[in-house]
Amino acid sequence: MSGRAPVRLMSTSARLALAVTVSFLLAFALLGAGVYYAVSTLLTADAREVVRADAAGLADIHRGAGRAGLIAELRGRLAAPDDPDAVYALVDRDGRAIVGSAPPLSVPRSAAPRWIVFRDGTDGGTRVIARLSPLGDGETLLTGLRTRSQDGFLAMMLRTALIALLVAAALGALIGWLTARWVSRRLQSLDLTAARVGAGELALRARLDGSDDAFDRLAHRFNAMLDRIEDLLGGVRHATDHIAHDLRTPLTRLRNRLDQLREREAPAPELDAAIAETDQLLQSFGALLRLARIEAQPPLRDAPAVDLQALVRDVLELYAPSAAERRIALRDATGPASVRGDADQLFQLLVNLVDNAVKFAPADSEVELALSASGAEVRLEVRDRGPGIPAADRERVLDRFVRLETQRSSPGTGLGLSLVRAIVLRHEGRIELLDAAPGLRVCIALPRA
Amino acid sequence: MRILLVEDDPHTAGFIAKGLKEDGHAVDHADNGKDGLFLATTEPYDAIVLDRMLPQLDGMTLLKTLRGAGNRVPTLLLTALGDVEQRVEGLRAGADDYLVKPFAYAELSARLDGLARRGTAASAEPTRLRVEDLELDLLKRSASRDGKAIELQPREYRLLEYLMRQAGRVVTRTMLLEAVWDYHFDPQTNVIDVHISRLRQKIDHGFAAPLLHTVRGAGYRLGS
Repeated sequence: MSGRAPVRLMSTSARLALAVTVSFLLAFALLGAGVYYAVSTLLTADAREVVRADAAGLADIHRGAGRAGLIAELRGRLAAPDDPDAVYALVDRDGRAIVGSAPPLSVPRSAAPRWIVFRDGTDGGTRVIARLSPLGDGETLLTGLRTRSQDGFLAMMLRTALIALLVAAALGALIGWLTARWVSRRLQSLDLTAARVGAGELALRARLDGSDDAFDRLAHRFNAMLDRIEDLLGGVRHATDHIAHDLRTPLTRLRNRLDQLREREAPAPELDAAIAETDQLLQSFGALLRLARIEAQPPLRDAPAVDLQALVRDVLELYAPSAAERRIALRDATGPASVRGDADQLFQLLVNLVDNAVKFAPADSEVELALSASGAEVRLEVRDRGPGIPAADRERVLDRFVRLETQRSSPGTGLGLSLVRAIVLRHEGRIELLDAAPGLRVCIALPRA
Repeated sequence: MRILLVEDDPHTAGFIAKGLKEDGHAVDHADNGKDGLFLATTEPYDAIVLDRMLPQLDGMTLLKTLRGAGNRVPTLLLTALGDVEQRVEGLRAGADDYLVKPFAYAELSARLDGLARRGTAASAEPTRLRVEDLELDLLKRSASRDGKAIELQPREYRLLEYLMRQAGRVVTRTMLLEAVWDYHFDPQTNVIDVHISRLRQKIDHGFAAPLLHTVRGAGYRLGS
């Protein structure tokens, strides 16, 4: 129980850390994409400006020196380029290149210049931004620019961004993991304290580190709450103890007086009955005090191992004569099993269970005690063939002073099963009442020693 | 017997003193620890009934002081709390027995008798116990009455041995539980009585004079 909670806690903060890291990376990627788009648009616009100016210059030559002058200029530029990235071509009306080389072009019929982008096949596919300017006689001038340096720049930017992203991701994951670990460690100490206090160690408090951060304040408030709970519980327990104790003293006095009276007077059945009633009351108060004390004790962890099988056999022996009187067979179905705990309390637990079973079992029937150890658990089962307990009442009968209508006539304090449960809980076990059809099956699981 | 009672609560002290006097004991009463220690060290007593919580000097300190000085008077410690730890602590401090308040007078009386006997008869461990014609051989672990062997279960043997060691005295159910069963627990019903009646069947059946008597309101007694 206490082992599972911190794991869940860890995964909660780990999930949180993961979510933070992922959203951080997403934001970074979005920003990167935006910058990339803006820069590449800017670079394209720059390239177009260069091409536009170049094309305007060539158009001037065409206007001034005519078609031949233009061809001579283009040939000259292609033979000894000022700019190695400049691309020129003159294309006839059928799309064939007269000067330079051009990609297969859909023949431009429109009179307005337009922009195209293509990959330059001769040079490993460099992107070329080009302007097509119709020259009026069906021929088209292509002025372009290889975007080698722009592409290089963009690629480098992308690479840098990717590396930065990877570093950021690693850093984010690391910081996230550390934060998660820190948070879970802070919470874990609080969680563990809460679990142990819940299990009965009421005096335990969460550790304060004096940093006065949110966790420290939470721990502080948590401790204040525990102080208050302990105060209240202590008050209630004190009151119960005092009531039981204070009533027990005059009751004992009463019993002693009745005893003295009995010694002096002739035997009177009323007197015997009164003494028996007083004894019954004293037994109830005694049981109540014992119950209160066991419930207030911290759970047993480092107690010595107790041979539960030996205890069961001693209880069976203790009850053998009582059972035999009603011809009830006590069946010993025990295997070796040990638990850590208080032998006297475990014996009391067994006594209460066997006492109930023998009390409610019909004559000539069988009461079985089974004990086995498997895995980390020791399982104890007491089964009788009596009237059993209706399903609706099985949880209720474990509470103080609850007695079923059918049991009203039989002796008992109504605290026997409450005491059993208190002892089981103190030994960090579980108790379950089941139907043995017919009869009652009490199943108890305790941690194995 | 001469008994010292150290108890500060006048009511409890009154009822114990009255009972002890009625039983034929001589009782000295001290209502605080200092007076109690003074009396215990200056007067010879057969037994001390000592309350744990006392003004001026508490019962445990008184007892340790007494035992430290070599005084071995059988002492019955009274306490309001019944925890096992407290009982162990009391016995370790030198108490011979321990009784939780509130108690029935019969319980106190029976335990005091047992203590006083333990004080005197501890010198030579006998090999054979005898109550009238009932015999218990401690070496062979066998019992017989009027020469006829009695078959006993191990627990019945322990029960009979305890009763015979306390022969003629009242033994309460709680004393039997503590001495014969090694657990401190609250018997829910009359389990002890059933064990006794089984034992009674074995030792008294077929004999004219019963040996194992029920003492109403207190417990059992073996022999007269």
